Amino acid sequence: MPLALVTGSSRGLGRALAERLLAAGWTVHGFARQPGGWTHPAYVEHAVDVGDPAAVRSAVAALTASGATIDLLVNNAGVAAMNALLLTPPAVAAELMRVNYLGTFHCLQAVGKAMVRARQGRILNVTTVAVPLSLEGEAAYVASKAAVEALTKVAARELGPHGIVVAAVGLGPVDTRLTRAVGAAQLERLNRDIGRPAGTTLAEAADFLFRQALDPALVGGSVHYLAEFP
Amino acid sequence: MLTREAALQLVLRRLAALGRELGKPDLERADEQTRLFGEASALDSIGLVTLIADLEEDVRQATGRDVVLADEKAMSRLTSPFRRAGLLADHLVATLAETSR
Repeated sequence: MPLALVTGSSRGLGRALAERLLAAGWTVHGFARQPGGWTHPAYVEHAVDVGDPAAVRSAVAALTASGATIDLLVNNAGVAAMNALLLTPPAVAAELMRVNYLGTFHCLQAVGKAMVRARQGRILNVTTVAVPLSLEGEAAYVASKAAVEALTKVAARELGPHGIVVAAVGLGPVDTRLTRAVGAAQLERLNRDIGRPAGTTLAEAADFLFRQALDPALVGGSVHYLAEFP
Repeated sequence: MLTREAALQLVLRRLAALGRELGKPDLERADEQTRLFGEASALDSIGLVTLIADLEEDVRQATGRDVVLADEKAMSRLTSPFRRAGLLADHLVATLAETSR
C-alpha cells in the first residue's frame, strides 16, 4: 500500500486531498498544528508545526523508523495574509515565510533524505496562481510562494538523479479558511483572470492535486497551475 | 555512544555498499584517507548526498539517535568533515557526543 505524507491535513485542501488518497487505497500520514478531529483506519495524524525543523525531523524519523518508505510528500500546509505591501506588518511577512517557504523547505529536506535512502519518491509543493499574476495586495504571500516555486525547481535538479520527482501545483482561490480574508470582488476578479469564473471547489482542487501527484508523466521542476491564463 | 573505530567502520561499510551500487570498486577498498569529495574523489556531489543520507540512517539504527551530519558547524569548518572518510568518522563521533549533552 503506497504511503503519502500530506502537510496541513487537518482541514481544507490538505484534508480533501488526504481523503482522496485514502479512497484510492493509500496510507496517509498528516502533519497538522491542530488536531483535525477526523479519522480513518489508514490515516495517522502527527502534531507538527512544519516551521519547526526539529519537530519535522523527529516526526519523519518516527514515521520511517519501522522501515516505512514515503512514496509521496505533498507540501500543502500554508498561511495567507492579504495586505497592501506598505501596510504589511513585518511579523506577518516573517510568518508567511516561516510556514509557507521554510515549512516546505524543512519537510523537503527531512523527507528528501528518506527518499534518497529509498532511491525513489515524489514531492508536490502547493503554490498559487497569484505568483505568475504578481497579484497586488498579496506581496508577502506571493513572495513566499514564489520562493516555494524556486525551491521546487532547484530541488528537482538536485533530487532528480536520486529518482525523486519534485514539482509544484498552483491553485487559484478555493473556498477554504485560507481565502476567507479575501474580498468577494477581488475573488471574482481573480477567478475571471485565471479563466475559472465559477471559481474552484475544494473537490476540484483536491482532484487536480491528486491527478498531478499520480501522473506518471509529471516532470521534475514543472509548475502546473489550475488556471487558464490569457 | 559510538567509538571512533565503530564510526569509521560505519562510514567504510556504507562507502563499500555505495561502491557496489554505483559500480565503483575503489569505494569497496576505502580507508580513512579516502577522499569523499573534491578532486580525485570517488564520489560526485550526488554520491556525497547519498552517503550522508544513508549514514544518518545507519547511525540511527546503530545508536537509536537522530543526527544531522550536515549541520551549520560542519558546513562552516575550515577543514570540511566531508573531505575524507576518517574526518567524517571524527565528525560523527563529535556530533553524537554533542547531541548527548
